[in-house]
Amino acid sequence: MELTITGANAITFPHLHIWDWRVASYLFLGGLTGGLMSMSAITNLRAGKAIPHERHCCWPIPIISPLLLSLGMFFLFLDLELKQHMYWFYLTFQPTSPMSWGAWILVLIYPPMILYSLAAIPPPVAEKMAPGLLKSLSEKLRAHLLGIARVNFVGGILLSIYTGILLSTFLARPLWNSAILPVVFLVSGMSTGTALLIIMARQNEVKLFLTKVDIWLIFTEILVLLLFFYGHYSSDAANQAAIMPFMNVSHQYFPYFVSVVFLGIILPLAIAMKFMEVTADHSKSITPMGKFLMNTSAVLVLVGGLVVRFVMVYAGQLSSFTGLLK
Amino acid sequence: MPKYVMVIDQSRCVGCMACVVACKRENDVPPEQFRTRVLEMVKGEFPFLRSELRPELCNHCDHAPCVNVCPTGASHKEADGTVQIDRSRCVGCKACIAACPYNARYINEEHGFADKCTFCQQRLKVGLKPACVATCIGGSRIFGDISDPKSEVRRLIEDNSHRVLLESAGTEPNVYYINRYPKKLS
Repeated sequence: MELTITGANAITFPHLHIWDWRVASYLFLGGLTGGLMSMSAITNLRAGKAIPHERHCCWPIPIISPLLLSLGMFFLFLDLELKQHMYWFYLTFQPTSPMSWGAWILVLIYPPMILYSLAAIPPPVAEKMAPGLLKSLSEKLRAHLLGIARVNFVGGILLSIYTGILLSTFLARPLWNSAILPVVFLVSGMSTGTALLIIMARQNEVKLFLTKVDIWLIFTEILVLLLFFYGHYSSDAANQAAIMPFMNVSHQYFPYFVSVVFLGIILPLAIAMKFMEVTADHSKSITPMGKFLMNTSAVLVLVGGLVVRFVMVYAGQLSSFTGLLK
Repeated sequence: MPKYVMVIDQSRCVGCMACVVACKRENDVPPEQFRTRVLEMVKGEFPFLRSELRPELCNHCDHAPCVNVCPTGASHKEADGTVQIDRSRCVGCKACIAACPYNARYINEEHGFADKCTFCQQRLKVGLKPACVATCIGGSRIFGDISDPKSEVRRLIEDNSHRVLLESAGTEPNVYYINRYPKKLS
């Protein structure tokens, strides 16, 4: 038995390590789903666009969204130490607990997501469905697509920003305890959602539109990330120490330093690739090379979103007030 | 209703770790996990060094972040001022561990629930003091009811210069540390 204890952190006490890849993946998938909900709603809500035309472009997205969110929740379920007690989430509501809010928000978000997935099925696809409840529901809901899309737009924002709020309310973890973190996760979620839409969209016009949107989202993401770091740098000693892993090349913090360099390369690169494409001549059609640029830059954005979630989850657990205890 | 607090006089701690052992024995704490610990720290620069022994445990905060973030209400504040965990409601989500600025919580690796110091609630119910207090050979740990004007803890806090850990965090801890130069100036 160890009796002489010289420090209290996750290195001397491995049991102080809290969350791992499962929570990071959940946060990524939650943000991605939120982005898909909002951005796919935008493709339907854009002014002046023929509804059937747009629906046909991205109709699998509303179906994929709840599946991705369910996968994220499965990862979250894997992280619970007492899975048999999970029902307690839904036997109570704790107004001061972001996780309790999250549990109920997820319950509220599923119905509009599922309604959206049914309403967005275009008539040619619905005709091929076997007669039954789903087919008749899809036909009935189609008339309400715009209203359901509006609800999904708001729901997507709520879901994306919630993933950041979950972490930002932890006073004990200075890196997470920032009001900008939910904005980082919101913008990143919207950007990754847009990226997946770009990859999946069939119509070139929509791909181009979303590529233009994503340029602004990536610019915003870089800006809020810089503000996030500057906010910590200009704050107290615990907050300054919290961002040190990202500025330190020692072996202990090397992955965090590399992540900053990686993001510093891929996000501007994604912008450059997208900019090349949106400024090209598209009077005829998008060339195979153009599609390659769009899809590659979208993959870079998705990888960037995943990196943001992982480094935030892991680096946040390294930050604490322990070293400041007097 | 009493309000339990602990006062720690660091000048009386000899670093024997009997409190750590007594706690583990009393509460069946798994190996390599601790409800209380004694930090050994050396401060200053040679040759002007000073060592500090600081016992640490759950601070049973009045504004406990662990209670606020618990999604199921398993972590709760009891009427006697202690923060307790209802194991039957704990899902092991670890939010409370992330929320504690004192790193006082852990997941019990044998049973899966979040665990921490309870001020030995099972002993308090039968009129005994917490195991770490009962075993402390230097009398460094003092436990009692701060709402009782005649209690030792009340007297120690009133008579001595003291501090709590991370006061600026606003958690209002109920574990008090008597300062190195304890007597208040008259």
